[in-house]
Amino acid sequence: MSGSPARPPTQEAALVVHQRLVAEDPTAANDVAAAYLEALVAWLGETDARAPEDLRIEAAEDAILALIRNPSSYSAGLQTLEVYLRMSARGDLRNRLAKEQRRQTGRTPWSSVELSPDAGKYLGRFDDPATSLRVAEEKKSIGDAIPESVRGRLSETDLRALQLILENERRTSVYADLYGLQHLSAKEQRIKVKRNKDRLKMVLKRAGGKA
Amino acid sequence: MNRRLEHLAGRVAGAPDFLASALAEYARSEQLADAALAARLGCTAETLTHLRLCRMPRGQAPLFWQDVAKIAGRFSVDADLVAEIARRGQSLMNLRKVEDGRIQEPGFLLAARDDGREEKPPEGAP
Repeated sequence: MSGSPARPPTQEAALVVHQRLVAEDPTAANDVAAAYLEALVAWLGETDARAPEDLRIEAAEDAILALIRNPSSYSAGLQTLEVYLRMSARGDLRNRLAKEQRRQTGRTPWSSVELSPDAGKYLGRFDDPATSLRVAEEKKSIGDAIPESVRGRLSETDLRALQLILENERRTSVYADLYGLQHLSAKEQRIKVKRNKDRLKMVLKRAGGKA
Repeated sequence: MNRRLEHLAGRVAGAPDFLASALAEYARSEQLADAALAARLGCTAETLTHLRLCRMPRGQAPLFWQDVAKIAGRFSVDADLVAEIARRGQSLMNLRKVEDGRIQEPGFLLAARDDGREEKPPEGAP
């Protein structure tokens, strides 16, 4: 236990520690922080290098603490814990940046799409710890549109992407987050995201689902 | 020494759901600096950081001792001392809330003392 690894654990190990969080093992909180904090901060440093370092650290901490305090907010069937924490941390960073902007200027937050209210922490829809019954029902209905035969063949990340497609999510940045493509140029992100989306649509089409 | 974890541990030092807050209250009441606190627990400064990032043991007696045993076993520290730190830390935090006017119920202090008497370790608990 000598420091956090820069590389987060495997999804298999992540599920174990997540289960310990759910079971209220008091030592699991430390283990989650030790396993993910360093890697999350490093990831935000790569993807949001222009954001102040203290905000990046606090955003990574926010994401870890939110998971510790509400472990059921993570659903293993939708994405890996690593991806979930990344999306959560990025949302927290945006919120903190917007707050900082308001504090400094005394004006309403940035009006760009990137930082619009829709671009906050729970944009991923499934990330909101306080997911309402209505949203849960929507998720179920969207999930139902993915045939069982397809579910078994796709990775968790692909399944999550497929659900986003079915929700008509169009922003490249959301898919780039999901697939960990932020280090690429905007053009490369668009190309790779399109390739993934086309592949998923084809899988769904062949299986007789609706895309 | 992991500075990220230390930073997070510092951040939750005032959060009643983390052991960090009880450790902070205990250290204040005993006038212990970090090194002295670690020495009393018989652990390294690094382990102290990990202890701080554990959740506070749950309040109900059987769960309290279960959580204390888990924390103590995991980090090889004395379970009785962890229990004392958690209890005293929580009491001091509650007292502080009373002082700050956040808790005003007259029976609060009596209830806190009663809790302390009732929470005896179950058979076989460390």
